[in-house]
Amino acid sequence: MMDGASGPAVAVERTAPAATAGPRLLELTGITKRFPGVVALDRVDFDLRPGEVHVLFGENGAGKSTLINIIAGTFPADEGSYVYDGREIRRLTPHQAREIGISPVFQEFSLVPDLTVVENLFLGRERTSFGFLSAAAMRQRAEEVIAELGFDLNPRAKIRELSRAHQQMVEIAKALLAEVRLLILDEPTASLTESETSKLFELIERLRGQGVGIIYVSHRMREIKQLADRITVLRDGKLVKTLDSQGVTENELVELMTGRKIDVLFPKIDHRPGEVGLKVQGLTTANHTVEDVDFVARAGEVTGVAGLVGCGKSELIRAIYGLEPLSAGTIEVFGQPMHHITPRKSLDRGVCYFPSDRVVEGLALTRPIRENASMAALDLPQFARLKILRQVSERRAIQEIVDRLRLRPPNIERVVQNLSGGNRQKVMLARGLTRETRLFLFDEPTVGIDVGAKIEVYELMKQLVEAGAAIVLVSSELPEVLHLSNRVYVMHRAHVVAELSGAEMTEQNVLASFFEGDRSIERKKRAQA
Amino acid sequence: MAEAKPVDRSDATASAEDATRRLQRRIRMTQALLPVVLLLMLLGFAAAEPRVLSFGNLANVLQQASYLFVFALAQMCVIVTRGFDLSLGTNVSAVSVLSALTLTGLVGAEGNGVAVAIFAGLLVGLGFGALVGVFNGLVVAWLRVNPFIATLGSLNICLGVASMASDGRPVFNVPDAFSQIFYSGTILGVEMPIIYAAVIGIAMALMFSRTVLGRSLFLIGSNPRAAEVAGLPTRRYLTAAYVLAGALAAFGSLMLTARTGSGEPNLGGGLRLVGESIAAAVIGGVSLRGGVGGVEAALIGALFITVLSNGMNLVRVDGYIQMIVLGAVLIGAIFLDRFRRT
Amino acid sequence: MSGQNLTGLPGRPQYSMEQLTRAMLAVGLLPILLILTVVVMSIVEPKFYGIFNVLNVLRQSSFLAIVACGQMLVLIVGGLDLSVGAVVALTSSVMAKTMQAIGFVMPEAVGLTIFGGIMAGLGCGLGIGLLNGACVAFLRISPFMVTLGTLWIATGIGLLLTNGIPVYGMPDVFINDFGRALWFGIPTTVYVALGVVFLVVLLQRKTVLGRYLYAIGGNMQAATVSGVATTGYIIIAYVLCSMLASVSGILQTARLGSGQATMGGDLLMLESIAAAVIGGASLRGGIGRAEMVALSAVFLSILSNSMNLMRIDSKMQLVILGLILVAAVAIDELGKRRQIRG
Repeated sequence: MMDGASGPAVAVERTAPAATAGPRLLELTGITKRFPGVVALDRVDFDLRPGEVHVLFGENGAGKSTLINIIAGTFPADEGSYVYDGREIRRLTPHQAREIGISPVFQEFSLVPDLTVVENLFLGRERTSFGFLSAAAMRQRAEEVIAELGFDLNPRAKIRELSRAHQQMVEIAKALLAEVRLLILDEPTASLTESETSKLFELIERLRGQGVGIIYVSHRMREIKQLADRITVLRDGKLVKTLDSQGVTENELVELMTGRKIDVLFPKIDHRPGEVGLKVQGLTTANHTVEDVDFVARAGEVTGVAGLVGCGKSELIRAIYGLEPLSAGTIEVFGQPMHHITPRKSLDRGVCYFPSDRVVEGLALTRPIRENASMAALDLPQFARLKILRQVSERRAIQEIVDRLRLRPPNIERVVQNLSGGNRQKVMLARGLTRETRLFLFDEPTVGIDVGAKIEVYELMKQLVEAGAAIVLVSSELPEVLHLSNRVYVMHRAHVVAELSGAEMTEQNVLASFFEGDRSIERKKRAQA
Repeated sequence: MAEAKPVDRSDATASAEDATRRLQRRIRMTQALLPVVLLLMLLGFAAAEPRVLSFGNLANVLQQASYLFVFALAQMCVIVTRGFDLSLGTNVSAVSVLSALTLTGLVGAEGNGVAVAIFAGLLVGLGFGALVGVFNGLVVAWLRVNPFIATLGSLNICLGVASMASDGRPVFNVPDAFSQIFYSGTILGVEMPIIYAAVIGIAMALMFSRTVLGRSLFLIGSNPRAAEVAGLPTRRYLTAAYVLAGALAAFGSLMLTARTGSGEPNLGGGLRLVGESIAAAVIGGVSLRGGVGGVEAALIGALFITVLSNGMNLVRVDGYIQMIVLGAVLIGAIFLDRFRRT
Repeated sequence: MSGQNLTGLPGRPQYSMEQLTRAMLAVGLLPILLILTVVVMSIVEPKFYGIFNVLNVLRQSSFLAIVACGQMLVLIVGGLDLSVGAVVALTSSVMAKTMQAIGFVMPEAVGLTIFGGIMAGLGCGLGIGLLNGACVAFLRISPFMVTLGTLWIATGIGLLLTNGIPVYGMPDVFINDFGRALWFGIPTTVYVALGVVFLVVLLQRKTVLGRYLYAIGGNMQAATVSGVATTGYIIIAYVLCSMLASVSGILQTARLGSGQATMGGDLLMLESIAAAVIGGASLRGGIGRAEMVALSAVFLSILSNSMNLMRIDSKMQLVILGLILVAAVAIDELGKRRQIRG
C-alpha cells in the first residue's frame, strides 16, 4: 500500500504564529440553549482571538452546530453573555452578524436552488442603483471573488445544477464576499477533493495572516493537526476542555470527545464470514451517483463503506434496498437475484435499510413509538390478519423489542417527536427486529446521537453479526468504519476505489486511496474518450 | 449489551423528559379546551335566547351536525395524508342529481319498484362518489399532482357533470320512501341522519384504529418518505383515502338529498361546504400537516360549527354577519391549534 | 412548463426529433398551445376575429391576468390566496358605496369622488392583504386556512354593505370615459393590465424585493440566514396580491357601471390559481414568471371564448378546464422527475 507521506500535498507554511494571549475577538460565557426535548448547550464558554484558528471538536450532536448558529445569530442563546470586539451583543440577527463581520459557512447549505451562483452570493446584500439591482456589477464582483479563491465555478449556473462540492464552494465564496473578521467553517472539506481542500487551506492561512478569527468545525485529525491553534472539545452539550493544539495526540482527543477509552467505545466484534449475503456486480444508478460498483457482503461480518460526503456510498445501499433507480448491474441477496427492487420486496427477502436522516426518511414523528416500530411489519400475521391489526399481539411484540433495545423510558405509546436522538435511532432499529432480517444496511447509524446510545448501537450490531446476520455499514466517521468492520470498501466519486482488510484498514490508507482513485478514474475516462 | 455501563445520564436526558411531560400536559389541556369553549358558547347563546337549550333545538343541532360530521370525516381521510378534497362540494351536487335521476327514472308511474330504485340510486350515488375519489387518488398518488390542483380539476369536472345532468334545474319527485329511509324515519325515536352519522363514525373510528389501512394513512401523512422506506404501498393507500373520501361525501349527499326531497345541482354550493368540512376537521384537531387526527376531532369540530351557526340563527344574527364571524372564528381556532403542538 | 432547458440547445444543423422536443421544452408548451388555439379558431370560426369578440377576449384576459399575477407572487413565497375573488367583490362594493356617498354629499366634486372611491377600493385590498400576510407570517397559520377565513370575512362584509343589490351612482366620467372607453381602439383595461404585468416583471427581475420573494420560496432557511427579513417580505407578497385583486375589481366595476358583491367570487379565485399554475408557478414556491402567467391568462380566456363561439356547452367547458389544469401540472411534474433522474 501507499504510505501516507506520498498522499496529496496539502502542507502549507504557517504564515502567522499561533496567537497566544492578547485581545479577544469573541468571548462567550455560560451559553445555554434548550430545544424541545433536549438541552443542546449547557453553560458553555468559548473565546476566539484575531488571527487564530480555533477548532470545535466533538461528535455529531455534541452541540457544535448549535454553538456556531448562536454565534452567527441564527437563533439566540437562552442564557449566557456574548461579547464581540469588546461589546456585549444582544438579540443578534443573521443580518447584523454579517454587518459586524461574522460570516458563517454552514454544512446545510444556505443556498436557494433555483437562483444562480451570483444571485446566491449576493443574497441579503444585493447591490442596487436607484432601487434596481445592478446585475452587471454583482456579476463582476462575483467573478473577481471566484477567481481570487481559485474555484472552478460558473457564476451564471443555477445552484440546482451544481454538484455538492461546487455548492460548498459557493457557500465559501458567499462568506468571503464581504469584509470578514470572524469566519465560521462547519466541516468545509466534507465533500471537497484533496486539491480543493489544499486551496481552501491556503486561503485559511491567508485570512489568518490578515487577522481574521476562524472557528473551524471538524473531526478529521489530519486537518486539526495542520490548522488548529486551539481546540475546544464539546460532548453532549457541555464544554469538556479547551486546549492548545501543541502536542495533543489523536487518542487524547478521541477520548475527550467520547469520554471513554477507544477500546471501550468500539466493541470487539467476532467476525466469522460465512455465506455471501449480498453480491453486487456492475451496479450503476440512473443518476450516476454510483458507477460500476462490485461489492460483496458476507453473513457474520460487518462490511464497511467509507468515503467523503456525496461520494455515492449512501446511494449504493439505497439502490440495493430499492430507493434509487438503477441503469445497470445485478444484485443478489443470499444467492437470489433481485429484479425491479422496491423496499417491500427487500423487506420480504430479509433486507432492512436504516436511513441516515431519521427525520426526513425514518420516522413518522407525530405517531407513537409502537406504530413506528411496527411500520415495516404490518404484512406479518403477528401484527395484522386480513388487514385487521392485532393490537394485543403488536403491543407485546414491540414492548419486547423496545426492552431489548433499552429504550428509556420504555413507554411505547410516547410520540416519537419528543424523543432524543439516541432513542429515535433505537425506535428505527426496532423496525429491523420486528421481522426476520438477514441483511442490515446501516446508513450513518450514529449521526446525532449521544455516546451512550452510540455504544448501544454498536453493541446491537455486534449481537446481530455474531448471530449470523450480514451488516453493511456506511459511515462518514472513519474511526467507526475502521473499528467495526471486517473489510472496508472505499468509495470515491461514484466508484469503489479500494477494498481494505486486516492491517490495511488505516485512516492513512483510506485517504491515500482517494488520491489513487482520482487518478484511476481519470485514466478510465481518458480511455473511454 | 448487558455489560454496557450506564452512561452519564446527565441533565440533558432528565430535562428532556421534563420538557416532554410539560408538552404532554399542555396538549391535554388544549385538547380539553375545545369542549369547554363549546359549552361556554352554548351557555352564552342560551343567556341571550333560552330556546337554545330546549330539547327540540338540541335535537335539531344534533341532526344538523350529522351532515357536517360525515363531510368532515370524508375530509379527514385525506387531510391526515397531507391532502384535502376541494371537489367534495361539487361531488355532493353531482351525486345528488345523479341519484335523484336514477330514483325518479326507475320508479314506475304507480310507485312500483321503489325498493329497486332506491337500491340503484344508492349504488349510482356511491359509485359516482367513489369514481371521483379514484380520479383524485390516481392523479395525486400516481401522477404526483398537488392535491389542491388535482381536486380543483375534479371540482370543475363534477360541477360540469352536475349541471349537465340536471340542466341546471332541481330533480323533483324523489320517492317518499327514499326520504324516509335517509331522513324522516326514526329508530327508537332517534332520527335517521343521527343514526347514520353514528354508524359511520364508529366504522371510521374502527378503520382508523384497527385496520392496516387506517394505521398506514396516519403513517403516510406523518412522513410519506418514511412510509415508503418502510415498504408501505403508499400509492395504493393514498388512492384508497381519496376513494373513501369520495364515497363518504356521496353518502352525505344522499342524506342531504333525502332531506330536501329533490336532486339539487347546487347542493354542495361551490366552496362553502368544502370550506366548512375542512374547517370542522381542522378546528377539531386534524392537522393539515398530516398524521394527526381522529374521529372525535371531526365530531367536535362539526358540533362547534353547527352550534355556532344555530346559536347565531336563534339570536337573529344577520346571515352576512354570520359569514364574517365564521371566517374570524376559523382563523382564531387554527391559531389556537398551533399551541396544541409546538 | 416554462423552459428550464435553455442551456442544452446544441447549435448543430442536423434536425432530429430530440432537438425538436428540446426546442419545444425551451419555448414552453404554453405559447405553442396558445398559437395552436388561435390558428385553429381562425380557420374554424370567422367570428373569432370579430372586433367585438377580440375586445371582449382582451378585456377578460386583462381582468384575469392582473389577479393571476398577484396570485403568482403569493405562490412564489410558498403560499396561496383563496381570498382574491372575495377581495374583488369587496372592492367593488366598497368603491361603489364610497363614490355614491361622496357624490351625494358633494355632487360637484367628480374628481374627488373618483379618487376617494379608488382609494377606498385599494384600501380593501391593503387591509385584507395585511390580515392574510400577518396571520401567515407572524402567527404561522396555514395560508389555506387563513385565506379561507378572509374569503368568508370579505364576502360577508361586501354582502352586508350592499345587501347583495348592485350599487349604482358612480360618476359617468368614471364609467364612460374610463371603464368602457377605448384608447386607440383598445380597451383601457388592457393598458392597465399591460402596465401591471410590466411592473411585476420589473419587480421580479430588477428589484431586491423580487429576488427575496424567490429566495424565501426557494429556501426559507437560506433566506433567513442570509439576513433576509422573511416575515416582512411574506406580508408584502400577500398585500401586493390583494391589492392587485383590488385593481382588477376597480376595473371590472368601472366596466360594469355598478358595484356588485357577487363579482369575482370563487370562480375567479380558481381561475387565478389555474392561470398561475399553468403559467409555470409552482405550489411548492420559488418559481414563477409574470409574463408567462399573463400569457396563460390570455390562453385561458381565449380557450373559454373559443369554446363559447363553438357553442360548447358551458358546463362541458368546466370539465375541459378541469382536465387541462390537471394535465398541465401532471406533465410538468413528469418532466421534472425525468430531469432529476437525468
